[in-house]
Amino acid sequence: MTDADAPNPGDPDAAVPTSDTDAPPARVRVTAPRPGAASVARAGARPASSDVQAVYLRSLIRSQLRLGLVCAAGFVFATTLFVAAIVLTPALDEAFVAGVPVSWLLIGFGIYPLGLTIGGLYVRAASRNEARYRSLVEGS
Amino acid sequence: MNAAIGYAAILAVAAVTVFIGFYGLRVSRTTGDFYVASRTVRPWWNASAIGGEYLSAASFLGVAGLILLTGIGGVWFPIGYAAGYLMLLLFVAAPLRRSGAYTIPDFTEARLDSVAARRVTSVLVIVIGWFYIVPQLQGAALTVRITTGLPSWVGSVAVAVIVAGVVAAGGMRSITFVQAFQFWLKLTALAVPAVALLLLIGGGSVSPELVAAEAFPASAGPGALDWYRTVSLMVALLLGTLGLPHVLVRFYTNPDGPAARRTTVIVLGLLSVFYLFPTVFGLMGRAFAPDLAVPGEADALILVLPDRLVPGPIGQLLTALVIAGAFAAFLSTSSGLVVSLAGVISQDLLGGSVRGFRAAALVSSLVPLAVALATDSAGLAGSVGLVFAFTASTLCPVLLLGIWWRGLTARGAIAGMATGAVLSGAAILGGGALGAALPAIRAALEQPAAWTVPIAVAVTVLVSKGDRRGVPRSTDAFLRRLHAPEDLRRATDA
Repeated sequence: MTDADAPNPGDPDAAVPTSDTDAPPARVRVTAPRPGAASVARAGARPASSDVQAVYLRSLIRSQLRLGLVCAAGFVFATTLFVAAIVLTPALDEAFVAGVPVSWLLIGFGIYPLGLTIGGLYVRAASRNEARYRSLVEGS
Repeated sequence: MNAAIGYAAILAVAAVTVFIGFYGLRVSRTTGDFYVASRTVRPWWNASAIGGEYLSAASFLGVAGLILLTGIGGVWFPIGYAAGYLMLLLFVAAPLRRSGAYTIPDFTEARLDSVAARRVTSVLVIVIGWFYIVPQLQGAALTVRITTGLPSWVGSVAVAVIVAGVVAAGGMRSITFVQAFQFWLKLTALAVPAVALLLLIGGGSVSPELVAAEAFPASAGPGALDWYRTVSLMVALLLGTLGLPHVLVRFYTNPDGPAARRTTVIVLGLLSVFYLFPTVFGLMGRAFAPDLAVPGEADALILVLPDRLVPGPIGQLLTALVIAGAFAAFLSTSSGLVVSLAGVISQDLLGGSVRGFRAAALVSSLVPLAVALATDSAGLAGSVGLVFAFTASTLCPVLLLGIWWRGLTARGAIAGMATGAVLSGAAILGGGALGAALPAIRAALEQPAAWTVPIAVAVTVLVSKGDRRGVPRSTDAFLRRLHAPEDLRRATDA
């Protein structure tokens, strides 16, 4: 990690939301950051050394990536299993609901709930990873 | 079909689109307003707008046509279109919002600290956008021809002119309102006729011309699955969604990373509900309109079916609704694409001014119009599927590796994008001729994503690994920006 990540009180950018410097740290929402523009500084929080910060960040990235890959693999695996089960059960071609073979209906409508479930679980888990990172950063 | 209904429906949608577009003009004044609606759009609005923009001619008309034509295998298209948002959620949504860039070329430049990488990305975005607009205009041509009897070109020209005008006048804030409105219009326009027709069929007032075994033969059922083609199509659709320019630009309008995630889950839900209805139409088409199962005509199934099943005023009302929805699909996807293309063109070539944006909006709609007028539609879902394969092979590797791998370099990114573009472009353009000569690799040429995406990723990684010094010094700071929650950012990480 470069020095760029170490908070530097002498850096003019670090003091941008000046009202935060003495008051307890307030959350500031960035509404229109542009590359190169100053973003929000939490000048009030006491940071750990930049090396520790870097380790925390890398573990956050790794855990988010792992979570994403697990969810994607779960979706692919469950879908493949679902389709294989339908293809291997010829009885589903012979059973009809409203005149349409059940196998057609299952493929046509059954996969969306799968994706939606995985998406919902992912959002909660991803926020948990971020909360863990936050408690590490703020606690150190 | 009664042409008056066609005229009325098309004019009504066009009028509402233009009205909302110009209403938006009053609230968008600054350059920031024009580009990304100042990043203050709420998740439900934003999700509706993303859905409205995403559901194109391919979704609205193409999916049902494909199920009619090829059987249940056609359903992999909507599944892939929806599941693409799952991938977007898992790997792209929050980091991309946090990147703080306006467009994909902005992202590439900031991440790789390279103007060259930016230029290559810009060219790809423009090519992808143009080829994505073409099927929209062809869908409009088909709809106008079928519903009013006017020549096909009228539909393409009408959509191109309305879109260029609204985008140039209002920018993206007005487009957000237009898109959100058009999602709900599209959903209503399919759901109401689908449910009405199902009720009428269930009530016994309409009976199928075919028995179930003929309408849903095993040869078009799940057992007839072509595994290679299906897997390759899913690779294209799942990963292609990540790189679509008009989808990505929409994420910058979320207030923060968690909001971007919430938005994406809502989109996934909205799409999952929407795609039930084209599928229902496709299945009804197989039972009630098997004569339409002809390439080129099958895409008109949704437009023709209501009037055919319930002749009379109810059928005409449902037809009007469907036409309105179809037109909303062409308008919304085209305008979303034109907004993002105009953003890229004006920032790279015209200095990013509002006037440059307007000029770029005109160029972005006229070029695809020329292509659409010069070519014939070869099936809406299929053409859009090929654009996804191209996107998945070019922009997707750079985006994914840029977000998740600190070793990516500008050289690696450019090499990967070039490789993916050449391979998938050659397969798409030359696949027809070459596939006829070499039947053994025909499927691989017609659905190239399964091999072009891995090759593009491998080239990107290998070239980057051989270019360790090319890793930009800003990488760690930029990755912090992408992944750390907004309130924990440091001042110097920009």
